[in-house]
This record gives sequence, structure tokens and C-alpha cells, in this order.
Amino acid sequence: MKSAFARWWSSIAFRQALIFGALVVFTMIVLLAVFYVQTVGAWQRRIDSQIETTTQRLVDYDKRSGSLALGNHINSLLGDGIDSDTEVYTLVAPDGHVVAGNLAVTGDITGATRSISEHRVLRAGRPSRSRLRVTALSDGSILIVGRDMQDQHELEELIRGAIYSGAVATLLMAVAGALLFRRQLERRIGTIRETAARIERGDLAQRVPISAQQDEFARLSRDINAMLDRIHALMEGVRHVSNTIAHNIRTPLSRVLARLYTAQNAPKPAEAFPDAVGFAIAEIQDLNVVFDKLLRIAEVESGARRQTFATVSLNEIAVNALDLYDAVAESKGLTLTHTLDAQPTVTGDGDLLANAVANLIDNAIKYTPSGGAIHVDTRRDGPSVTLTVRDNGRGIPEEERTRVGTRFYRLDRTVPGWGLGLASVLAIARLHGGSLQLQDAGPGLIAQLVLPVTA
Amino acid sequence: MRRCLIIEDDTENAQYVANGLRELGWWVAVCRDGMDAVGRSIDEAWDLIILDRMLPNDVDGLSILKTLRSMGRKTPVVVLSALAATDERVRGLKTGCDDYLTKPFAFSELAARIEAILRRSQPDEGIREMRVADMRVDLIARSVERAGRAIALQPREFRLLAYLLLHQGRVVTRTMLLESVWDYRFDPQTNVIDVHISRLRSKIDKDALVPLIHTVRGVGYTLSAGGPRGEIAG
Repeated sequence: MKSAFARWWSSIAFRQALIFGALVVFTMIVLLAVFYVQTVGAWQRRIDSQIETTTQRLVDYDKRSGSLALGNHINSLLGDGIDSDTEVYTLVAPDGHVVAGNLAVTGDITGATRSISEHRVLRAGRPSRSRLRVTALSDGSILIVGRDMQDQHELEELIRGAIYSGAVATLLMAVAGALLFRRQLERRIGTIRETAARIERGDLAQRVPISAQQDEFARLSRDINAMLDRIHALMEGVRHVSNTIAHNIRTPLSRVLARLYTAQNAPKPAEAFPDAVGFAIAEIQDLNVVFDKLLRIAEVESGARRQTFATVSLNEIAVNALDLYDAVAESKGLTLTHTLDAQPTVTGDGDLLANAVANLIDNAIKYTPSGGAIHVDTRRDGPSVTLTVRDNGRGIPEEERTRVGTRFYRLDRTVPGWGLGLASVLAIARLHGGSLQLQDAGPGLIAQLVLPVTA
Repeated sequence: MRRCLIIEDDTENAQYVANGLRELGWWVAVCRDGMDAVGRSIDEAWDLIILDRMLPNDVDGLSILKTLRSMGRKTPVVVLSALAATDERVRGLKTGCDDYLTKPFAFSELAARIEAILRRSQPDEGIREMRVADMRVDLIARSVERAGRAIALQPREFRLLAYLLLHQGRVVTRTMLLESVWDYRFDPQTNVIDVHISRLRSKIDKDALVPLIHTVRGVGYTLSAGGPRGEIAG
């Protein structure tokens, strides 16, 4: 029983419902208490004022007509058949004998003068409770005026009983309601928990069934499902990336191994070794570069470098890149020209932006044959600034453009490279809240790095 | 004899670096344990400390470096680590290492960087003019003369020449040039540096009896009057 309650208590639905039930019970008790005080209390106050008036009237009567006449008057009052079930009148002479009245007088009654109080008495030979006003008259006799409260007490008992049983019934209903509420809630949450458990066991395709009611749970379920869809898509992306990475790292590794095994098994291993070792070193160095580039892209994508963003001039970055590349362009027989707009500044990582710009120029130089032209320009365009690298090389066919920027995607496998340059430019652009746009220059490629201008 | 302490738990790597340095005439000690390393790096006098980051018992090499620097030791320290992210690198440099090289690395790259650091730790203050063979370079006026004939250089070419001059007789790698002269940290896929060097060479060494700029195959370049002396096994 205790453990069952502990289990119920651990349910928030049960607790909430029970607390709510308790609140209802409390409210009801307050309400009934007010009702009780208002009715019973008011009634008592009316009785008291009646006793007071009657006492006053009898005291006046005594002053006017004397205590003997008062005794007769009391006898006539008791005999008139009005209120005879409840009225209490008694006149006690100074020597202690009862002149008139219906009360068995004891010492502790006559001692309590001045205020109205309740006493256990014998009225007309029957035990009862009465409210009494005891007054000492001028000649030393004592007047007792009162009212039998027995009926009223019985009524009060009845009302109290009704209040108690009502409270108990409400409490029971609150507990029952709490249990019912808990079951309802448990059922709705149960479906979500079941789905979560199935997902935890590895079935990622599971989704929370959405009930017909458009309530909070339906909305929560939809939110959870949307979150699961997003996680699923991200995991697919990660799996794709790790597959390509595995492929692009395992392939050169197996090439190296194959070459070394071949050398080991050659008829004259000593002669085959130098070549194989040279090959292995070159391949492993390449692998190292690939690995480094991948880690840098991952670092950019993580967004950690946003913390060190500063205001940087895109023109300065472009000028530095041009300064680095003009010699190599010239040596390849390319013209490298530029037009720079008035000082566009962006908020970002200067090193990364320099890398992105250098990568774009590097690419243009790589893919433009001798005699070609490369033009770099920066242009402010409302809230954004665009750095364009335009060449008249072979360009990228339209259907391939969306795939450029995917890690390891390479248009031409005869040109040395890893297929990571534009992927890193894309990651850098996204880190800065910008984009990389590729267009046809007919012939050639227009690569645009679009970045938001410093606010 | 110059003394180097290598703090590295991987035997293979430690041997590779130690052998390379011994060939260059260094006296080398290897320390594989982080706790030991703190004591040795402080108690003995070293010309250079090569420090790995992830040491046994979860000791980060940087904590050793921190202790060393907090005791006021200015021993040049090169950190060798697989932790390559920019913020890790920045953390290393902030803690007070003189260079931060990521694994895997070629020994030639390490050797070149060590030379660069050791030169830097003996600052050439107030040097106004440098001479190599018949070349005279005024570092203040930024003018160059070869055999009495003035040579006009672009500002960037002058910086390149000045960097080579400051590391006279030592090998500088392409990465070092890209980082120091152009302030770039990336790996260009075109031979940008080679083209700049060949331009500079055509201006400096053209018609000269003794060529000054030499290519060190597979490593980088060196500037010296006596041929590529600083060749390093790589």
C-alpha cells in the first residue's frame, strides 16, 4: 500500500491532480466554515440580543411593580404556550428559594452575573444546555433569563456532520480524479515513451503517432518528430561524409601497402625499395594534407571560430591574396587583374577569409589555361558584399555546380588536388553567414563569395 | 655542444627526432614521463625543449610548459602535437611555446623551425646593414646592392629577401615563408612560393658569379654565399 502510494506520488500527473483536489477540498472547507459561522453565529447573536431585551424588560417590570409581581409575570410568561419548549425564566429570592421559574438553580449559575454564557442545566426537570443571562435585582433577588440551546446544538451537529461527510466525499473524489488523470496522462505519454524506447533500441525510423486531437500532446509529438527528422538527416549526412572520408583515406593507404608488399616480394627487394619508400612517403604526406584540410573544414563547420570574429577589410584580404598570386599567374601566362570597391568591411575571421579568397584564386589559376585572364573584384551590394573571381577557363558544367563544394568531389581527376578547396570555401562562407555562388562566365567560371556587411 | 630535452612518450617518434638532432650535432636526452620531465626541464640547463602534449597519466605537456615559464625560464620550447585545431595552437602559443608543430611532421620542417627559433632568441638588435658575398642590404632604407649595382625590389620581395637573410645559412621551408612573409596559414595547391623565389632569384642572382639563393630539394630554400650548406636529412 505504501509502495503503491510512493509510485503514484512519483507521477507528476497524480501529484498535480491530488494537489488540485486538495485545493478544492480546502476551498470547500473555507466556504462551509464561512457558511457555518454566518448562519450559526448569526442565529446565536440574535438569541443573545433577544435574551438581553427580555432581561431589560423584566428588570424594568421589577422596578415598576416589585419582585412579587415579577414572579407572577414570569409564571404567566411560562404558561402562555409561546416558546414553551425553549424559554427559560427563573426568579430566585435573596434567601435562595425559587420564587418562580422552570430552572433547577445551582450556585455556579447565580454566581455568573453580567454576561450571557452557556450552562448545563436542568430545565423543567430535563437536562439541557442553555444560554443564560443572570441579573441581580435591586432587592437582592436574582433574575435568570435564558434560552434552551439543545435544538440548536442538534442542528449544529447536523450541519457539522454534513460538512465532514461532504469533505470526505470530495477528498475521495479528488484522489479518484487524480488516479484517473494520471492514467489518462500516462497513456498519452506512454506512446511517446514507447517510440523513444524503440529509437533507443536502434530503430531510428520510428516516429511518435499523432492523435486526432489537436492538443498539447499532438503539438509536442509533432515537435519531437520534426526533431527526429532533423537528427536523422544529420546522421545520414555524417554517414555520407565518413564514408567518403574512409574511401579517400583507405584508397591511398591500400596503394601504399600494395607498393610496399610488391617491393618486399620483388626478386631483388633491395633495388625496389628506394622507389617504394619514396612513393610511400609522398602518399602519406598527401594523406596528412588531406587529413589536415578535413580537420580544418570540421573546425570551421563547428563554428568555434566565431568567438574571435573581428571587423576585417575584404579589400585588404583581396590585395594580399593578389600579391601572393600575381607571380604565379604571370609565370603561367595568365593576366590577373582587379577592381576593388570602396572599403567593404565584414565581421569575420581574417585568416579564414584570406584562405577562402586564396583558394578561389588558386582554383582559377589551376583551371585556366595559359593566355587566359582572371579578374578579381569586390562590390558592395546593399547589406552584402561580394568578392568575385572570374576566369575564362573551362568553367564548371551547370549540372555539376551543385555538387562542387562536397568534400572530395573533383571535376577533373587529372589535375592534382584533393577536392577539398571549394568545400572549405563553402564552410568558411557559411560560418560567416554568407554563401558561395558559382555561375557560368561563358566560357569560364564566376565564383562569388557573398558575405554580410558589418552592421 | 647544444643540449636538447625531448619530452615524448612515443619511442618511435622520440628516436626519430633524437637521431635527427644528433646528426646535426646536438646532445639529446629523451624523457618519457611527464612527472620526470618537470624536474629535468627545471633542474638542468637546456638550449631547447621539444614537448609532446598528450603524455602518460593524462599529463598535458602545456602544464609542464606553464610550470617552466612561471619559474621564469626562457628556454626555447617547441610543442609537437597531434592537436591541430587553431584554438589548441593558440593555447600553446599563449602558454609560452616558441613554435607549435603538428604531427605528423617531416624532420626537415622541425629542424628549420628550431634554427629559426634559436636565431630569434639571439636578437640582432640595431642591425642596419647586412652583407653576404658581394650583396649589401640596407634594412632601414630597404635598398639592395649587388656588386655595387642597385637592385629594385617590390616591397614583398624585399620582405622575402630580408627573411632569408635573417636565416642566412639555414634552411627555410615553404610553409615558413608563407606564414612569415605573407601571413597565410594554408596549403596552396599551386607553386606560389617557388614562383616568388624564382622571381627574387632572377633579380638577385642574375649575372652574379656566386649564386646566393639555393634550393634544398624536398625541403625549401636557403640563402648563403657558399652553396646549400644547411642541408638537412629529411
